[in-house]
Amino acid sequence: MTLSRLDLFDDVAVRLDGVSLRYGTSEDILSGIDLVLKPGSFSFLTGASGAGKTTLLKLLYLALKPSMGEVSLFGRPTSRLTRDQLSALRRRVGVVFQEFRLLDHLTSYENVALPLRVLGRKEASYRSDVQELLAWVGLGERMHAHPSTLSGGEQQRVAIARAVVTQPDILIADEPTGNVDPEMGSRLMRLFLELNKRRGTTVIIATHDLGLVRQVQAPVYRLQHGLLVQDAEYSDGTSVAGRRRTDPAKAD
Amino acid sequence: MKAKETPLLPVEDAREAALFFVVCALCFLAALAALSAKSTYGAARSWTAEVEGELTVSLPDVDRRAAEAARELIAKTDGVREARLLTKEEIDDLLEPSFGSRGLPESLPLPQLVAVTADPLAQFVGPNIERRLTEAGYVSAVDEHAEWAGDVRRVLGIARLVALTAVALLASTAVAVIAFATHAALLTRRDIVDVLHLAGARDKFIASLFERRFWLLGLRAGSVGALMSLGAAAAMIFAARSSGARSGLLPELSMDFYDLLILVLTPLIAGLAARLAARITVIRSLKSVM
Repeated sequence: MTLSRLDLFDDVAVRLDGVSLRYGTSEDILSGIDLVLKPGSFSFLTGASGAGKTTLLKLLYLALKPSMGEVSLFGRPTSRLTRDQLSALRRRVGVVFQEFRLLDHLTSYENVALPLRVLGRKEASYRSDVQELLAWVGLGERMHAHPSTLSGGEQQRVAIARAVVTQPDILIADEPTGNVDPEMGSRLMRLFLELNKRRGTTVIIATHDLGLVRQVQAPVYRLQHGLLVQDAEYSDGTSVAGRRRTDPAKAD
Repeated sequence: MKAKETPLLPVEDAREAALFFVVCALCFLAALAALSAKSTYGAARSWTAEVEGELTVSLPDVDRRAAEAARELIAKTDGVREARLLTKEEIDDLLEPSFGSRGLPESLPLPQLVAVTADPLAQFVGPNIERRLTEAGYVSAVDEHAEWAGDVRRVLGIARLVALTAVALLASTAVAVIAFATHAALLTRRDIVDVLHLAGARDKFIASLFERRFWLLGLRAGSVGALMSLGAAAAMIFAARSSGARSGLLPELSMDFYDLLILVLTPLIAGLAARLAARITVIRSLKSVM
């Protein structure tokens, strides 16, 4: 694996400046969020159900526009980009959706290969890579199975394989181990860490599985009442539960 | 591994069968309307070409000798190419629709008729003939066919306009139906569109999936519709020929190169319209998301 060509020049993978989000005239779902994630960082995002974790991730993988503030990826403010430039940025981001979003008319193999087809790659050029990846997540025998015939855990692994198949610069995972057994959960975490350490992929994982958080020494951001706070309890190994608004200078 | 990749946009048999039927029917009607427009245009041209420069001079109360002398006067008038005195049998034939086929009573006073062919570009041929005959002491009535041919031309022009309007209406209905169907397909397949969008697919890439689907659908439905209209046109031609075309009023129905061109163009236009409708619908829909 090689470092992304652009990461060498970008000193910030993700930057949120005063980002707020609301739908219509409702209250802010997210309010004044500042966040900086450096290339190659590994972070967790936690918070109670409904706290806005998925919404915040949607802003990061460019599915939503903020009502206020700016989301920048790789140093590029997304509000100023054309649609084609946004598409190009999305290709550098792998996403594991909470609800998997697998396409049922495609097999597991074809679902995993989908981002490669979007990139215009020929099937012969990626066949062995996809097969290897599916074997690695324990689905070597289920390559031709359609998602509707897979268990929840199997579907989740297909979704993870699809998110990492292009070796993205940023990997965003929404509850990636929610449907797998602890052993598979640990294995998938090792995959994320491997991508992070060997390739320098910026990883952000939204989870409420504190066991998962404890496995890795990494910053933990918590969403509470629409505000983002950095939780020191799990990020630095101390037992002091410090809550503060994230300071871009200290965020990584 | 499969030799062929599964299409990213799955085939939806039931929905597409219904749409296929609708587009097929619209293409059938549009092709038929286009053929009708072209046919009326051809008929107008054929009729007006036939009657342009044709006149009939009626000479009441004269015998054949005097009529022959009048014919010679007519033939010498400027712009006249030919003047021919009709025979008694020809006059009987002309009056047969009014008086039946048993022949006319000998006592019935009939005018002598002179069929005149004039140069279509020559002007005032009718008045000149009438003036010359009056000067020679004849009482005559000149019927210029071009006068009523103008009415026929106007009526056919309206008929052609109606047919062309029908073509435009049917074509725009087909486009609207396809746009509606594309939008429905887009809503049904929002999951695929979202996944592709978030995987970094450009709008053009996503639109191309729908474009290809609807281009093929338009092409296939248009082909079937065109074939059906060809069958209908052939049936009408056969029926017209079987009836014997006794009046000789209607120009003979037939298929020519331009009719075939209409039939060949129908599926291509349907396919292109479907493709364009799909593209516009998808691009517009995608622009509503980030």
